[in-house]
Amino acid sequence: MVNFIEILIRGLMLGSVYALVGMGLTLVWGVVGIVNIAHGEFVMLGAYFAFWAFSLLHLNPLFSVALSIPVFFFAGVVIHRRITERLVKEHELSALILTFGMSILIWNLAQFFWTNTYRSVSYLTGNFPFMGLVFGKGKTFSFGLAIAITAALFLFLKYSKWGKAIRATSQNSEVALVCGINTMKMRMLTFGMGIGLAGAAGAIVSLQWVIFPQMGGSYISKAFAIVVLGGLGNIQGALAGGLIIGMLEAIVTQYLSAKMAQIIPSVTILIILLLRPTGLFKK
Amino acid sequence: MRRLFGNRSQIWIGIVLLMAFLIAFPFFATDYWMTLLILIFIFTVYASGWNLFSGLTGYTNFGLAWFIGVSGYVSSLLIADYNFFWLLAWPIGALFTSMISIGVGYILLRIKGVYFAISMVALAEGTRELFGTEYLSPITHGGKGVPFVAGIGLSTLYWAILLLAFLSLIVCYMIFSSKFGLRLLAIREDEQAAETLGIHTTRDKITTFVISAFLVGLAGAIHFTYQNYIDPSFAFSIHLTITPIVMTLFGGIGTVFGPVIGATLFTFIHEILWAEVTLLYMAFFGGILMALILFFPQGLLGWMKERGILPRIRKI
Repeated sequence: MVNFIEILIRGLMLGSVYALVGMGLTLVWGVVGIVNIAHGEFVMLGAYFAFWAFSLLHLNPLFSVALSIPVFFFAGVVIHRRITERLVKEHELSALILTFGMSILIWNLAQFFWTNTYRSVSYLTGNFPFMGLVFGKGKTFSFGLAIAITAALFLFLKYSKWGKAIRATSQNSEVALVCGINTMKMRMLTFGMGIGLAGAAGAIVSLQWVIFPQMGGSYISKAFAIVVLGGLGNIQGALAGGLIIGMLEAIVTQYLSAKMAQIIPSVTILIILLLRPTGLFKK
Repeated sequence: MRRLFGNRSQIWIGIVLLMAFLIAFPFFATDYWMTLLILIFIFTVYASGWNLFSGLTGYTNFGLAWFIGVSGYVSSLLIADYNFFWLLAWPIGALFTSMISIGVGYILLRIKGVYFAISMVALAEGTRELFGTEYLSPITHGGKGVPFVAGIGLSTLYWAILLLAFLSLIVCYMIFSSKFGLRLLAIREDEQAAETLGIHTTRDKITTFVISAFLVGLAGAIHFTYQNYIDPSFAFSIHLTITPIVMTLFGGIGTVFGPVIGATLFTFIHEILWAEVTLLYMAFFGGILMALILFFPQGLLGWMKERGILPRIRKI
């Protein structure tokens, strides 16, 4: 029983990071209307950002996680202004192909410059016991960071002026436009926030999991499963979906095998789309 | 068309000459050129099959690799483990794939837009992972793959895939210029309106989906016989989905001959890039995809139709 609780908590910690990735994807998808297949690659870039900041500049990972958010936010704003804004009104295929092209462009460049070596940031290694359970220090630290960023995102969307405008654009962009909201600017901000979340998630990932140029692929499939679970554009749903995917992964890895755990995202997507295409949660 | 190619009989003479050249090709060509043409024909069928369904109905099939992989696996395992003759194993693989596609289409074609695309990706990726697990390895040999020898000469394989490419072009031409094709176009433009006008949308969508699955599956079976090897990450690779889509976009989506032109040009581009910039091949490929969408979305034939070089008819 103690073992099972430990597995659940491990899944919860994993899920909190997945949720960050999934919330970024669902936010962009809901507001901008673009499915960003390159989202996973920004997770990878975020991970390398934290890794290089740690190994070259000896930055504290806490600081590089905080720094990754504005850096990736601005990168996202620039990418959206230059490229993706043109696809907003096009057929869905355009955005799918374009972001897929962006995705392989990014990972191949990363592979070319940083090689395929598996790397990780060795920060906060070791465990500590708590109420008869054993926790990894790094994982607990990342869990705290992920929760803090999630809370900040929720507060921003709920109470700030821009957050309200973004939610309005997501609900009905035409009415939002009529009400005097600059929806183009909101789409740009949202794209930046989505990339910022992906970058931050990547920086957190690098603290305890191995990183390599092609790691984005596994994150994007989980992020898709999370978006489908939570319902399109539903941030709270994505948070819950991320935690569910994380726990499922921990349980299946423990009781079946690590290979079976990789099937979870695909199976989740298929089952949810067939039984409840609007997602598990009401908006 | 007349302005560009002269009159109708000249076009027919051109087609017959081209076919005669392609049929006689193995007698004088080197193995390198034969393998290049085999790849072009395989990808012509993939691209035409994708274009047949997605170009006409507007449903983005992002799981083409699933057709290829399932059919490839069935036929390869039949050849490798049960000593089937290749000519028998290929149609069995393709038929098996189209049979399952009826069920898959019936279930998944209710989902629209990006969700359909994602569910097809999930199907392909899920099958890939499933085929690699230890639970299915008694049948699929797991992730380490299946090497096999089909005992077919390169020339015979060449003629087989040439015939298939030719047949699939004829099928596409017939569907594109038929009333059935017109009904599918109506579904692409407005599915609800099409249904109101009395089009049995579900039946038409599934029919096209299954025809597409059969053609692509047959080409997939030939593809892996040609490679003499199959493994899950290769058979269900996302690149087997993307490359035909890019070829179709390059030549012109929703046109009969666009996929052929795209497959031919793109195979040569692939060869050059692969030889010159092996390590950065994927980056170039990604850059081409992005440029294609941003600057050339209608494709070569679409562009020629827009400029009036070709007439705006469905038969091209």
